[in-house]
Amino acid sequence: MTAEAIGFWLVAAVLLATSLAVVLTPNLFHAVLFLAAALVSTGVVFLLLDAAFLFAVQLLLYAGGVITIMVFAIMLTEQLVGERLRQTSRWVINGAILAAAVFVGVLGFVVRSARPARPPAADRTADLARALVGPFAAPFELLAVLLVAALVGAIYFARTED
Amino acid sequence: MSATDHALHVLALPFAAFVILAVLPWLRRKGRAAGWLSIIAVAVALYRALTVWAGGGRGEATWAWIPADGGPIATVGVLVDELSAAMLVLVTLVSLLVQIYSLSYLDRETPPALGRYYTYQSLFAFSMLGLVLSPSFLQMFIFWELVGLCSYLLIGYWYDRPSAARAAVKAFWITKLGDLGFVVGIVMLWASTGTFEFGALFRMAAERTLPAAGLGLIMVLIYLGAVGKSAQFPLHVWLPDAMEGPTPVSALIHAATMVTAGVFMVTRAMPLFRLVPDVLALIGWVGAFTALLAATMACVEGDIKRVLAYSTVSQLGYMMAAAGAGAADAGFFHLLTHGVFKALLFLAAGAVIHAVGTNDIFRMGGLFRALPQAGVVFIVGTLALTGVPPLAGFFSKEAVLAGVWEGRMTGPFLMLALTAFLTAFYMFRVIFIAFFGRAHAESHPHDAPPLMAGPLWVLAGLTVAIGLRFVVAGAGEHHGPGWLAPLSIGLALAGFLLATAMYQRRLLEPARLAAVFPLNVLDVMARHRYGLDALYAGLYRALILGFSRLIGWIDRYLVDGLVNFGSAWTLRAGDLLRRIQSGRAQDYVYGVAFGVLLLFVWAQWVRR
Amino acid sequence: MGAPGLHAYLVLAALVFAIGLFGVLTRRNAIGILLGIELMLNAVNINLVAFARFNADLVGLVFTLFTIPITVAEVGVGLAIIIAIFRARKTIEADHLNLLRG
Repeated sequence: MTAEAIGFWLVAAVLLATSLAVVLTPNLFHAVLFLAAALVSTGVVFLLLDAAFLFAVQLLLYAGGVITIMVFAIMLTEQLVGERLRQTSRWVINGAILAAAVFVGVLGFVVRSARPARPPAADRTADLARALVGPFAAPFELLAVLLVAALVGAIYFARTED
Repeated sequence: MSATDHALHVLALPFAAFVILAVLPWLRRKGRAAGWLSIIAVAVALYRALTVWAGGGRGEATWAWIPADGGPIATVGVLVDELSAAMLVLVTLVSLLVQIYSLSYLDRETPPALGRYYTYQSLFAFSMLGLVLSPSFLQMFIFWELVGLCSYLLIGYWYDRPSAARAAVKAFWITKLGDLGFVVGIVMLWASTGTFEFGALFRMAAERTLPAAGLGLIMVLIYLGAVGKSAQFPLHVWLPDAMEGPTPVSALIHAATMVTAGVFMVTRAMPLFRLVPDVLALIGWVGAFTALLAATMACVEGDIKRVLAYSTVSQLGYMMAAAGAGAADAGFFHLLTHGVFKALLFLAAGAVIHAVGTNDIFRMGGLFRALPQAGVVFIVGTLALTGVPPLAGFFSKEAVLAGVWEGRMTGPFLMLALTAFLTAFYMFRVIFIAFFGRAHAESHPHDAPPLMAGPLWVLAGLTVAIGLRFVVAGAGEHHGPGWLAPLSIGLALAGFLLATAMYQRRLLEPARLAAVFPLNVLDVMARHRYGLDALYAGLYRALILGFSRLIGWIDRYLVDGLVNFGSAWTLRAGDLLRRIQSGRAQDYVYGVAFGVLLLFVWAQWVRR
Repeated sequence: MGAPGLHAYLVLAALVFAIGLFGVLTRRNAIGILLGIELMLNAVNINLVAFARFNADLVGLVFTLFTIPITVAEVGVGLAIIIAIFRARKTIEADHLNLLRG
């Protein structure tokens, strides 16, 4: 068993465990922390797939950005409510059945698809950079516009009435 | 100019008058001016018709009408021969006299109504002329329907009277019943021969190349049209009711011209009818029976116009009987003379009605002194109708009787002889009750004004003149056995004597005579018109009501039921579907996930 | 047992996706639903990167690079909306947010 295989199974186990914890833990704050762990695990999966740059992006944006926003949001609402946010689940059985069915459906496709051989590893970061300023330059700029719009929109929604 | 050109002019003149009156409302609303326009048109047409008749020319001019692969399906045109030339003269003459007469008879009408009347009259003249000039069954059928339409319009001329409107509808319905047979018959004939044209059909009949299969049925169906139009039993019920129209209309349409269209058609198509002797026998028997039946009903009728209407039905039966016995020329001869003297009788009755303001003969009486002109011409007409020599009716009636006798149809002959007796009886009954007898004090009738008297005297003169002409020249080829003339005169005399005894001399009390068996049964039955009117009314009502009930039931329970069912279920389904819209986003995610699952299933297991 | 192939990554992503879907379906709290959505998006990202790796294709990586910022923007706007709703309704229980009810 190669080191990579060991790493994959380990990361997979961590990712699945933290994901389950995200959707099952009653404490919302803990759930967010588990989400952070899951996101980091995903980053590690990226690393296993030789996408080091994406690993960095994942850490910066998700773990650094999203989680921070969420923690802020939770603390803000808790402060407003004046009590700890608990979360409960409803229709757990129905949700589990449907989610399992969707998983089986996807699995059907996966099983039936071809199994390509793993090409030799290569660092694609430079290629990625060239692609972003080459053929994908326009979408990249549009992404910047989107982010600005989202920022403005978020401020507009969240501001108090005054 | 050839005969066909003249005939086309005869046809075009009333049509032009009709079109002018139809498209120029200001002229139509002038009333009398419209009348004069129509009269002038028909007067010129009469002149042209006389030219055609005197010229004695024959000819046929046709134009292709319905084009199709392999030649036109149908043609239109004019067919001029002795038959149509004589009809042209009769139609234009009676039309002219009736239209002149109407100017005075309808003097109390408002100008727009009078204009409408003359518009219809022009249309009728055109239609009737087109009918008699038809060279093919198809054209004849079209004009056949047109005269039916004019008849409907003119019976319902006083359409604000419910009885007139009802009578118009009744006439329309019942004649349509016969027309249905007519149109089916000519279409079947076309299907088996491929032509509507008389010329081609008669050639085939002469060469014995006409397909014999089904010809009997076809001819019976065509004859059905004549049954409706010429008021033969059992479709005769509309004609007495048609008397709701103005009297000149009755004289023109329901005595002299339109009702004879059936006889004319049978005469015209005689080469075809000859191929099927059974149908001819049927025509003869039905005609004779109609003659007798109508005569009995005329004997108990109190309305002067209805008596004449039954008399018309009876005489049409005579003509049909002659045609059925193979003596179509005798029937046609009777058609012509009857057209003249029956128009005379109707117009004279119209003069009486105009003077006294009622149709009921029992409210008349002693009118001969007050209305000498009307009385004299009425008596002339009556003598002609009862077949007294030397008037026109004598010769034609004798020709009919001789034709039927020679046709070896003893039964119809006996019925017709009995009818001759009854004819004399009921006509003199009317004369004695209305013109003689005790005068009613309250009425002060005035005699016919010149515009009415003129046509009366012209027709009376013609009645006499035609008769005298045959006294000089000898009439037709149907003389019959030597005892026939004395018999028919004797029958007429017997009818006259009975009427005298009952209504003039008061030797016999009519009520007591009517109470004797079997006359009492006949009396009651005739007064109830043998139940036929009631039967038709009942059938009509039952059919219409039954149909309406059926439609009502379908509408109420099937259509409404479906609609209500649909709306109720729409409501309920909407209520059910509304609950899906819970407003909770997660429920919608369930929907999305479920849809994705369905897509997966479809993509993986179904699509392969 | 050799190095994990493409299928191993795809199955892992599918599992994470199903878990995220479960979270979206069952959580009552709006922020909890948002967390589930994040998991589902991550699963998609894993897929994209895995395909890019095994097919030696650059586009998957580029797409992932686009998805991550878009997700971040979505989270930002989503949280802003949640806070706005919370101000208006004093709750972020998804069961109570049924203004769309028919």
